[in-house]
This record gives sequence, C-alpha cells and structure tokens, in this order.
Amino acid sequence: MISRAPPPAIDARADQPAAGDYHPQAPFLDELFESDGTPRPTAVPLVEQLRRLGPAGLIEAGRRRDAIFMQQGITFETSSVGGASHERPFPLDLVPRVLSGQEWRDIKRGLAQRIRALNHFVDDVYHAREIVREGLVPWRLVVSCSHFARAVHGIRPPGGVYTHVAGCDLVRHSDGTWKVIEDNVRIPSGISYVLENRAAMARLVPELFASYRVRPVDHYPQLLLRALRSVAPSAESEATVVVWTPGPANPAYFEHAFLARQMGVELVEASDLVVRDDVLYMRTTRGLERAHAVYRRLDDDFVDPLEFRPDSLLGVPGLVRAYRAGSVAVANAFGTGVADDKAIYCVVPDMIRFYLGEEPILENVKTYLLSDPEVLEHVLERLDQLVVKPTGESGGRGVMIGPHAHEGEIERMRQVISTHPERWIAQDVVRLSTVPTVGADGVLAPRHVDLRPFAVFGERIDIVPGGLTRVALDDGSLIVNSSRGGVSKDTWVLEDGDTADRAGPPIADTQPPALPDLRYGAWSGQQQQQQQRQQPQRRPPGSP
Amino acid sequence: MLARIAHELYWLGRNLARAEFTARAVEAVFQAELQGTSEAKPGVSFGSGGLLAMFGDVDESPRSSQALGQLTLDAERPGSMLASIERAREGARTVRDVISAEMWEAINTTALGLRGGGQPGWTAPAGPYLASQYVKERTALIWGVANRSMLRDEAKCFLDAGGLIEISDMVLRMLRVAMPPGDSAPADGHALILLQAVGGFHAYLRAVTAPPNAHPVARFLLFERAYPDSVAACVDSLNEVFTTADAGPRNFKPVLRVSRLAADLDFQRRALPDGAELTDICEQTQQELARIDQDVAERYFAGAAAAGLRR
Repeated sequence: MISRAPPPAIDARADQPAAGDYHPQAPFLDELFESDGTPRPTAVPLVEQLRRLGPAGLIEAGRRRDAIFMQQGITFETSSVGGASHERPFPLDLVPRVLSGQEWRDIKRGLAQRIRALNHFVDDVYHAREIVREGLVPWRLVVSCSHFARAVHGIRPPGGVYTHVAGCDLVRHSDGTWKVIEDNVRIPSGISYVLENRAAMARLVPELFASYRVRPVDHYPQLLLRALRSVAPSAESEATVVVWTPGPANPAYFEHAFLARQMGVELVEASDLVVRDDVLYMRTTRGLERAHAVYRRLDDDFVDPLEFRPDSLLGVPGLVRAYRAGSVAVANAFGTGVADDKAIYCVVPDMIRFYLGEEPILENVKTYLLSDPEVLEHVLERLDQLVVKPTGESGGRGVMIGPHAHEGEIERMRQVISTHPERWIAQDVVRLSTVPTVGADGVLAPRHVDLRPFAVFGERIDIVPGGLTRVALDDGSLIVNSSRGGVSKDTWVLEDGDTADRAGPPIADTQPPALPDLRYGAWSGQQQQQQQRQQPQRRPPGSP
Repeated sequence: MLARIAHELYWLGRNLARAEFTARAVEAVFQAELQGTSEAKPGVSFGSGGLLAMFGDVDESPRSSQALGQLTLDAERPGSMLASIERAREGARTVRDVISAEMWEAINTTALGLRGGGQPGWTAPAGPYLASQYVKERTALIWGVANRSMLRDEAKCFLDAGGLIEISDMVLRMLRVAMPPGDSAPADGHALILLQAVGGFHAYLRAVTAPPNAHPVARFLLFERAYPDSVAACVDSLNEVFTTADAGPRNFKPVLRVSRLAADLDFQRRALPDGAELTDICEQTQQELARIDQDVAERYFAGAAAAGLRR
C-alpha cells in the first residue's frame, strides 16, 4: 500500500502554497507568470488551482501518476552510468503548458508552410534538382547528407507526398517569438505520449481543466490512418495499412504498438513481411495478404538489405523495388532524411521563398554552416558562446552547449570540428522560455521547455492542437530530450471562441432529446417498490 | 427452479449490467467533457446531459460534474451506479443459496466499497472517474466469478438473460439519445464517444475499416455479431440462453420473439444500404425487447413481476 501521508521532509513545506514563492528567471520568458511573479491573465485560474492543490496535493497526484503509468506500462528505458537500463514511468509534469488559440493558429500556419516546403525539397532533390541549379543549395551539401538515398532517385510516391509524418521542434525566445530549432521528417516519435499525457492529466488533476476549454488531441490516430489510406495505391478495396516496428527491443516500441492499436491495424516486424513480384505481402494465417501502405518506424539504412545496408537483419529484401514499382506506399518515404539534416535546416527559409513564393512565418535560429572556412574561423573563436550539433544525428546526441561546457570539452570539440567541419553546425544559444514545473518537494520552479507539434500530411496537412512539450530536468539546463532525462508536459491549446477553426457546437452544450415512448423507462424505481413489497422490513444496509 | 428465484436472478443480471454500462459511460463522458471540441466535427451529441436523458432524467440540465456525480454515488437516484449495485446486492441476498458464496461476497464487497461516498479520495474532482474504474473492475470480477463458479443450469441462464437484455436496452437508448431522428448532426462526423462509452473502441477498430463516424459506429453497435455488447450479439446470446432454459423452446412466446428478432436484425444488417437511417430500427428493436421482457415475466416468473413492470 502506498502511504497517504507525505514524508516528514515534505510535510514541513506542505502548508506553503505551491506557487507562492515562484520566481521567473530573468532574462527568460516565463509562459505562466509575468516577470514580476504575477500570473499572466490566461493563467490566473490555473495558478489558483495549483495553489489550492499545494505541494502535498501535487506530490500525492505524482504518486498516483507513477503508479498508473507503471500499471499501464507507459514507461521509458533509461540507462544509468553503469550501462544497465531500467524502466521508469514516463515522466509527466503535472503543470500543463497553456497556448492561446491565436498563438496556435500562427504556429500551425507556420508549420504547414514549412512542411510543404520540405516536401517540395525532397521531391526536387530526387528529381529535377531545380533548387541546386538555382544556386540556393550546393549539390555537394545535399550528397554529403548522411540520409541522402541514391536508391530512390526518380521515384515519386502517390500524391507526391514524402513527409507524411513530421515533428518540428519549436522553441520560444525571450522576446516571445517562436523559432524552429530542428526539423524531424524521418520518424519523429512522441505522439503517443501526447495522447497518454492528456488522458492521465484528465484523471489525475481534472480540477486544473475547470476554467478552460482545451482542444482535444485524441483524433491523431484517425488523422494518420486517413492520411495513410489516402496515399495507398489500392484501387479496388479499402487499403490495408500496417505499422512496421523494428521489434519490442526498440525504445519506442510502446509508441509503435500504441499507434497500431489506436488505428486498428497490424503491427508487423520484418519477418511478417515478404515481397513477391514487386508487391508487398504480409504472412497471415490465411496465407499472404497484400499490404498497401506501411508506416515504418525504422531508419532507411535498415529497411532493405538489397538497397541499403546489406547486413540489416531488420529489413525486407525487395521492399525498395516494390516501392519503386508503386505497389506500396511508405511513410515517411525513403530518402526524406535529406530534408531534416541539420545542414539543410539553414536553407529552409530560402526553400519556402523558392518553392512557395511566401515569406517564412516561423523563423530559424541563427545557424552557422561550418563548411565555409571564414565562418568556421569565426565560430571556432566563439565556441564558448554557441551550441554545436552534429548534422546527421538526432535525440540530442553529440550536442555541446558552449556556455555550459568546460574548457576541456570545448578544446576537444575544436579539434573534432577542425577535422570534419562539414559534419557540424553551430547555432546561437536560444533563450528557451520557461514553464513552472513541479520539483521533488512539490514546489514549482521554472524549467526550460521546447515544443514538438505533430503534423500529418495526406491529402492535406493536419496538425493536432499542441504537441509534446519537453522540459529540461535540471535548473538552468537547456537539454530537453527524454532520452537524456527530460520530463514532458501536457500542452493545452485553448479555444478562444473563434469558430473558424472548428466545426459544430461543443458536445456538452446540445440539449439531448427525451425518450417519451419508452415503456419501461423508469423501471428501476418500480423494481425497487416491488422489492420493498416483497420484503416489507428492509434490513439496515450492511447487515448480513 | 422457483419462479421467484429466476426472477431475482434475472434482475440481478440486469442491475449488474446496468452498473457496468453506467460506469463505462460515465468514464467516457468525464474524459470527453474535460476537454473542448475536437477539430473533427462531431456526428453525435452525447454528454452528461445525454447520459441523464438515457435514464429518463431530462427536466433539469445540471453542470457536467454534478450530473456525473448523480450517476455514480448518489443513493437517491435510481440510475446511479450505487443504486444499481445496491439493488443487485439486495437481489443477491435473496438468492444466496443459488449463487456461490464467492459470488455473493464479490457483490457484497462492491456495494460496501461504494457506500458512504466510496473510497477515500473519491471526493476529488476525479471522483466520478475513480468510482467508475472501481465499478468496472468489480463487475468484471463478479461476472468472471459467475462464469467460473456457477453451474450452467437454468439459474445461470436467467442471470445471463437479465444482463443481455439490459446491455442491449442501454445500447439502444444511447443510440437513440445520441442520434435523434431528423438530426442535423452530420453522419460523417466522428462518434468516438459512443464507442468509448461502451468500451468498444478497440473492437471497432479491428472489426471495421471505416473511420469511427456516426453511421458506421451505429451499425457496428447494432449489427456486429462478433462484438459481444452489440444489440445483435446480445439478442443472439439471449436466444441461446432461452433455448437452454426453456423446456419447450419452440412453443413459447419469449423464445419465439427472441429468435424472430435475431433473424430480423440479421436481415436488416444485410438488407439496409450503408448510410440508411437507423433510428426506426433502434426504436422498433427496443419496443420488441420491452415485449420480450414482459413475455419473460409472464412465462417464467408466473406473472408475479409483470405488475411491477407495467406503467
């Protein structure tokens, strides 16, 4: 049994309001509080409820959260220093992040624009290469991308969509503007946590929702399924969609299973798939059955030993051939990795202007391409003020944050960069906004956050309201990746009364009809009466 | 077996099934109403008001949290989970010699757990959710114990029959409340809430390829015989149960009615084009079930209970 009384160390602080002594950290923007420590207008009811809960209430809810997540198997593998990995409940912070409807509309438009441009770019790179001929992107840069795939040159998937699933990482600068810090158009993960976080918040702290109308997120699996069906090459019948996982050992296996279950489709592994005469089939109890669309959750490198890495045991031989023949749709398309390379990131604003003839709605963070010797020299001098990232990696691997690194690290990085400057980029340090986060003692403290909204591109681009907010675990830390010990938050996008964005009245507002003709509509009352007739002396409740 | 015992078992089944249905529906509505509207347009209207309407409470429209509170632990309301479980317990006590000790204990513990405001912590705003979870788990346990420990004789048949008729009635009520005739709600709007309210979301996804929009969902809940809580599946099982229980199943009205209804539902499923209006079928089926309920009372319960069931 879990003890209900908080431990003594916490008890001492239990009478303090949770948000009572909250101090935003200048110069960073805090999303719930003004710089003088008063709650922002939209956050007033939320802060009020948090005060009412108090540290003890938050700790108690946190305990229930961990218990629920362990029971439901919503866990995350973390590796400790010794290399041994262990399961811990997925870290969800109980203070939500709140975005206004207006803010969200801007983000949504900006993301849709960006994803459209990235999609054009992938198409261009594997076909006419107009952007290269125009001189905006050097071909050398494209082919140096580790995810550039020669094997798919000249293949145009159904509908011309390559980046079916995209998750761009956004940060909010101290002046309030949103900036894109990274594009993920290979296999962005985290959407399952967005849905599970919302469900958990509704169970654990429903009182926080009391004064808000939060836009739901649980239609994502349906959006994804519709998008996958819309691109599937199946003329005669309803398309068969599958989710392809590398297997249960994959850290994101929970998400793969979650999406397959929520979409009601099969979760397949490589051994379930087979290609015959350029058509993809899965092995079922009734023989081979055709699969029309594959949502694959593994990297290009492993998908087909005949075309990519020959030593891959996770791949399906002949899949790329089937893909080339147009008999199967693959999401995301092979070779899309070229668009989320960090070196390509720098030219995305130019891409938007070039392909769409529009000005970018969301800005980039100032980025330096190190292949230029002059830039390189300039960057090497300022390494202690910049963030350095490897171009072909994701998940926060290999990132060095200059102001937080010590001398030795910077020196080593200088050596590494000098040898292979094209494999690295440097960025200005972004002053990530902060959101109050519950500490181990139940007291709120500011922590830096980013945001990964999830977009689905089928016949059109749909983006679920909000996304995954990732929180840096330590005071002052700027690294938010969950594999590096980060926490997540439920992200609320509020309805702001503007109906342009939604359809139909809220469900609860419509008056339900009565059912006048029900013959035994009130049977329960009569049943009781009748029982009382049968047993005139009702025994008091609880007696045997 | 004694008519009185059969009658009690039948109502025990009904009360347990109703408590379970209420629990799932409250949980679904609780989750849905905390959040705002979805970007996808809704094809049905079903919330706490609709839930109350299902149980015949429409004169007042209380706030969502109150409505759900009334359906969970309010002993005064005949539609609440507590009231259903209390009635089940009363019934179980009168048939303690027929059901196993284990089953009586499971039912009794459930009632004790719900009384007096339920468990500590249920007063929080998450109360309706927590109480629903509890009732869901407990009723699953009770049915599990019944299936493992009761002899498959007449007694079990009447227990099951009550449960089946109650589930199908509840599903029909829900469909009629959520999709009233001549409704302006778009048939292609989503109807996730109905699936969540019966716990059939996952089953739907595996059985039907169409997105969970109002029409396919209604068809699924009415006609899908592979889904145990659909009306057609319940009527099928009801037919089996009565055939087992009745000494002369080909001669008596309730059994004949049930088998006719089963065949009719199967016919409608095949004959109706996709997208056809279903409200009439819901209404007719529900009335037919009411007639079956009455025939059952007359045939098996020696007319004793029929008086209590008439308006």
